[in-house]
Amino acid sequence: MKYELVAGFETHIELGTNTKIFCSCSTEFGGEPNSHCCPVCIGLPGTLPVLNKKVVEYGVMAGLATNGKIANISKMDRKNYCYPDLSKAYQISQLYAPLSIGGYVQLSNGRKIRLHHIHIEEDAGKLIHNHGDTYVDYNRGGVPLIEIVSEPDIRSIDEAREYVEKLQQVMRYIGISDCRMQEGSMRCDVNISVRPVGSEKLGTRTEIKNMNSITFITKAMEYEFERQVDLIESGGQVVQETLRYDDATNTTSSMRSKEDAHDYRYFRDPDLVTISITDEEIEEIRSKLPELPQQKCERYIDELEIPPADASQLTKYRNISEYFDKAIDGLKKPKTVSNFIISQIFRTLRTEEDKEAFAVKTTPEQLNELCKLIEDGKVQNNLAKSVLDKMLESGKPCTEYITEEDMAGLDDDLVEKLCKDAIANNPKAVEQYKAGKEKAIMACMGYVMKNSKGKANAQDVLAKIKSLIS
Amino acid sequence: MITREDVENIALLSKLFVPEEEMDSLTESMQEIVRFADTINNADTEGVEFDNINNLSNVLREDEVKPSYPSEEILKNAPEQAEEHFLVRKHA
Repeated sequence: MKYELVAGFETHIELGTNTKIFCSCSTEFGGEPNSHCCPVCIGLPGTLPVLNKKVVEYGVMAGLATNGKIANISKMDRKNYCYPDLSKAYQISQLYAPLSIGGYVQLSNGRKIRLHHIHIEEDAGKLIHNHGDTYVDYNRGGVPLIEIVSEPDIRSIDEAREYVEKLQQVMRYIGISDCRMQEGSMRCDVNISVRPVGSEKLGTRTEIKNMNSITFITKAMEYEFERQVDLIESGGQVVQETLRYDDATNTTSSMRSKEDAHDYRYFRDPDLVTISITDEEIEEIRSKLPELPQQKCERYIDELEIPPADASQLTKYRNISEYFDKAIDGLKKPKTVSNFIISQIFRTLRTEEDKEAFAVKTTPEQLNELCKLIEDGKVQNNLAKSVLDKMLESGKPCTEYITEEDMAGLDDDLVEKLCKDAIANNPKAVEQYKAGKEKAIMACMGYVMKNSKGKANAQDVLAKIKSLIS
Repeated sequence: MITREDVENIALLSKLFVPEEEMDSLTESMQEIVRFADTINNADTEGVEFDNINNLSNVLREDEVKPSYPSEEILKNAPEQAEEHFLVRKHA
C-alpha cells in the first residue's frame, strides 16, 4: 500500500524588538547569563507585565503578510506548566483570542498551506543540563515570539521545506525577525501522521519538537514517516506522543510518557488588559508593509521579463531585490542587470549569509551607469563584463576602467580588416560553414572579438563575416 | 465538586508531593475554597459585559531599553546558584 505524509507546523519566531514582551530588558542575543533580567521577566511575585507596543505591531504585520484576518479584540492567556525554564510556572501566551486568524502560505506548486492562527507569547529561559543538574539563564525569558500554527496541509518533505523557507523569507522581508534558525530565532514543531493514499481520514499524529535547522526538519520527517509506515504495515498502531529528534543518530525518541501528559489549564491573564486594534490601524500597518517576495517575483517575471528561475533568486533576500530595483532605474532591459547580479556578483558571494547581507562594493547606481552605457551602444557586453569584475573588486565607477577610445567603438574599416583576417586565418571553419555547419563561423567571431579586445559589436561582426564569406 | 483525584492531579501538575494522611483534609480545604469562590455565581449578571470589566484596553509600552538588574541582584533569592546561573539540582 502507498502512504501519504500529512504534516502541520507550529513555528516559533523571535521578534526583532529592542526590548522583551512585558518589560524593558534588552532582547540582545548572548550576554552574560542572567544579565538581561529584571523582577518582571524572572517572574517575581507582585510584578506587573506591560505589553510592548512593537510586539503588537509586528504580530499584525506577520498576520497581514500571511493573508490572515487581524482580530479587532485579542487577549493574553496563561499557559500553566511547571518546569525550570519558566520562572512563573506559566507562560503568557494567547489561546482563546489570538492576534491573527487564518491566512495561508502559497507554495510554488500552487498549493496553499492554510494557517490556523498566529499568536504572540513570551519565550522561556535557556536550560543547560549538566550531569543531571540544570543551569538556568533567563536572558531569553520574556523575549517576544510569534507562533504560526498551520493546518495539516503539508503533503511532502519538499512542501515542508518550502513552507519553512517561505515563512523565513516573508518574515525577513517585513523586517520583524532575522529568522536565524541556528541561533534559535526560528524553531519548528512538526505534527506528522501518515495515511493510505486516497484516504480522507487523518491518521494518529506524533509531534517532533523544537527543530532549528531545515536539514534536521527534513531528516526527522523522513525518519518519522518511515517509522510510522513500518509500524502500520507490521500491524502496529501509532501512539500519539511528543518526540525529540536526535541528529547524531538520525532517529526520533519519545520525550514524555503519557502519564505526565500536559494539562495546561489555560485561563485569561488578569494582569494584562485587552488588545484592541481598529480597522483603521490595521490598514495603516498594511499600507506600510513592503512589497512581499511573492508579489515582487511575479512582477519581475510579468513586467520586467526576467526568467522565473532568475526572478526567484533575485527575490530570495530583500537586500538583493532592493539592489536590483535601484540598479534597473531607467533601463530598457532590466534583464542585463539581473544577468550581471546572478552570473557575476553572486560569484563574489560565497555563502548564503553573504548573499543575504549582499554587501557589494559596487553600488546599484554604479551598476546602473554601466548598464546604461551598454544600452546606448557605447560599451560591448564582453568589455562590460571585465569592467564589472574590476569594479566589484575596487568599488570604483565604470568610468575608471573605460576610456574614451573604448566608448568611441571601432571604426568600420578596422572591423572589416579584422573580419578578413579572421577568414584568412580560419580556412577550415570557413569550409565547414560553407558546407552548412552554421556554428563553425563562431571560430571567426572569436578571432575578431579577441583581436578587438572585446570592443567590436558581436552582431555587426557576425553580419560582416557572413557577407564576406558568401 | 473537587474530588480526591482532582487534588492528586493538581499536586502532580504542580510537582508537589502530598502525604497520604493529608489527602482528605486537603481535599476538604480545596472544596471549601471553591465553594467560597462559587458564591460569585449568585450575583445577578444579566446584561453585564465581563470581558473587559474595567474598560481598559491597550495599556502598552514603547519599545525602549532600560537597564536590567545586575545579575547578583537577580540571583540573590535563588535557592542555589552556580556560574551566574540559577541551579536546579537533579532530584534524588
